Amino acid sequence: MQRVLTRLALAAIVVGVAVSPTAGASRLRVVATIPDLKALTEAVGGDLVDVDALARGNQNAHEVEVRPSQMLKLRRADVLVENGLELDAWVDVVVLGANNPKIVRGAPGVIDVSRGMSVLEVPTTRVDRSMGDVHPLGNPHFSLDPGLAPVITQNIVDGLARVAPEHRTTFEKNREQFLAKLENATAGWTKAMEPFRGAKVIVYHPQWIYLLTRFGLVQANTLEDRPGIPPSPSHVARVIRQMKDERIKVIIVEPWNDLRLATRIADEAGGRAIVLAPMVGGVKQAENYISTIDYNVRTLAEALR
Amino acid sequence: MHIVIASGIALLLALLPVAVAAQDADALRRELEQMRKDFERMQQQYQKSIESLTERLKRLETQPAPPAPPSPGATAPAPPPRSAAQLTPLDLARPREPFSLYQQRGAGQLLFDMGVTGDFVANLTQRNVDKANAGTFAGRENRFFPREIELNLFGQIDPYARAEVRIEAGEEAPGEETGVRLAEATITLLTLPYGFQAKLGQMRARFGLTNMTHEHDLPFVDRPDVLRMFFGEDGLTEKGVEITWVPPLPFYLEILGGVFNGDNETAFGRGKLTEPLVTGRVRTFLEITDTSALQIGASVANGRTADRLRSTLVGYEMKYKYRPEGWLHPLLTLSSEGIWSIRRVEVSQDVEVPIDTDGDGVPDDVTTETTFGKRTRDRFGFYVQGELQPFRRWAFGARYDNTEYPVNPGRQWAIEPYISFFPSEFLRFRLAYKHTERTHRFGFTDNGGSAGIMDELFLQATFILGAHPAHPF
Repeated sequence: MQRVLTRLALAAIVVGVAVSPTAGASRLRVVATIPDLKALTEAVGGDLVDVDALARGNQNAHEVEVRPSQMLKLRRADVLVENGLELDAWVDVVVLGANNPKIVRGAPGVIDVSRGMSVLEVPTTRVDRSMGDVHPLGNPHFSLDPGLAPVITQNIVDGLARVAPEHRTTFEKNREQFLAKLENATAGWTKAMEPFRGAKVIVYHPQWIYLLTRFGLVQANTLEDRPGIPPSPSHVARVIRQMKDERIKVIIVEPWNDLRLATRIADEAGGRAIVLAPMVGGVKQAENYISTIDYNVRTLAEALR
Repeated sequence: MHIVIASGIALLLALLPVAVAAQDADALRRELEQMRKDFERMQQQYQKSIESLTERLKRLETQPAPPAPPSPGATAPAPPPRSAAQLTPLDLARPREPFSLYQQRGAGQLLFDMGVTGDFVANLTQRNVDKANAGTFAGRENRFFPREIELNLFGQIDPYARAEVRIEAGEEAPGEETGVRLAEATITLLTLPYGFQAKLGQMRARFGLTNMTHEHDLPFVDRPDVLRMFFGEDGLTEKGVEITWVPPLPFYLEILGGVFNGDNETAFGRGKLTEPLVTGRVRTFLEITDTSALQIGASVANGRTADRLRSTLVGYEMKYKYRPEGWLHPLLTLSSEGIWSIRRVEVSQDVEVPIDTDGDGVPDDVTTETTFGKRTRDRFGFYVQGELQPFRRWAFGARYDNTEYPVNPGRQWAIEPYISFFPSEFLRFRLAYKHTERTHRFGFTDNGGSAGIMDELFLQATFILGAHPAHPF
């Protein structure tokens, strides 16, 4: 028995040394809470970073289940990139279980990309839960607005450079290259959406305001009665009437929400329910940051046609 | 000669002003040229600024104002975000206000989170169970009562530590009185080296799966029988320190060690650091697929009872969850916990001793003498639970309990099906039926009542007000 225990202890030490953070690690280990931030960090960090994400693209970023496997990712991380504005507040529990002082709140390794952001839908009156699961600090779903990528990536550059100041120039260069590519793509998207400027759409959950505002669309209503509260029959009837009265053609649905209900309502009102990618990886075609926005714009333009 | 000198001087005097004037003109010309260049440069700069502002104005004017949020008047549109083209390098280089977010929330910004949870329970059972005070909520049978109203304050103390304080109120006995007590108050040191973390204060010890869970967060109405039998109704709540270590392995492993006073009277009760309660826990996590995962672990607690006798509890835990791709909630949850209790107890035994009453050297009678000795009681209990949640608002489950009593002879088993309804993330109602059978009535016969077989109906209502930390797996 003693021999077995000794062997087990030795094996554990060997494995521990083999995978310990000091064992030949030259790239920064970065963990982002959501896939959009993973994609943007990869764009900025290039070959200097290894990036992982805690949530998957087809998960509701508000309600990610905290798993010890996420704690394991953070245990080894040098940098944590979080969205902020309480979208990924669950990460505090993951951090608590990771026992890694590099990424605790206030540490240099924590990057909150919402710093300096022009936040939409910031409450200006008293809010409470009678309004549903409201965003008390403003709408946090900004990561897929191409116009806000400069702010997000600047925060990422600053954060990565805090941990690895010797690479700041490379991070900045990578960022400029990525933004140039994004700007070209944005010009194409703006042109594609130009004919639909001012068009009204219904959204299932208020998570698309940045995308809609960017391309001049108007969010006429939400399918949810109130954020996070499933639609009541009377609210559904109101939405159908509004769609008919205002000739609204499109309902935008997130992959986790009830597409069948949205389709039924859209059919009733003579419109169409479409699933957009709320994050990178949200749908099959949304493989990276640019292709995700591209998919959303193309799908939206086609539905509005 | 004089004439020549005089003429030369006169000529020099005559030409001098011309030369000076020519020099002045050159200087002035240069100055003028410089001013002209400066003016042109300024003009170009202003032109650029005007063009840039005009362009921005055009873009702003062509962008529609953000639509109103669902609750009318609740929010106001912020300035539309600027595109990559509109953000100048100067914009990006400008230092951002680190606390701009908080300024938006006003001057009364709290530096920690605060939440209130409320948990109310109603239970109905037979009259004999009520009379014997033998129900799951002993002494509160056939009552509706606030079981746990909890004020929860938590947040960072400084960059190195966070604190959590939970103050609880609830009915402990029938009547108008509602007791208030400190449920937990802890400091967690977050920045210890080598993957260590320390938590100290008064806390629910991390023993097994559900001991650390507060009543309102339990996945069933009542705490499993095995925990109530072996740790008492409030579970293993202790004062001391817990240290966890997450080694840098390719898989998740958490190793925990704790030292406490040992105040829990059901299992320990010595209450001295000189003879402390020492706890340990190891847990690991297997992500079988993206949609299913298993957590397993083992715990140990070793201390002394009030009689200074050794008491050891060893537990296992397992939890499996299956959450289909893209679902907001698990479809299937399976969990189980078991505890072995090995404790030394003092027992008395009546022994018949022969006596010689007439003094003839031959015993002719017997007398009963009580002898005291120590024995080891080795007892086991467990539960298994399964829950199906096919809809976001509805969950159906059942729990099976089977446990021996830690000191007294006998065992009991119970089955408890339940149904949960969630109108929102912050409100839950639960209805449960529990059938219990006991092999012995020992310890459940208060007031001449008996409770060998027990049927109970529970109704639970739970709310969350304000901040509430996310639940771990």
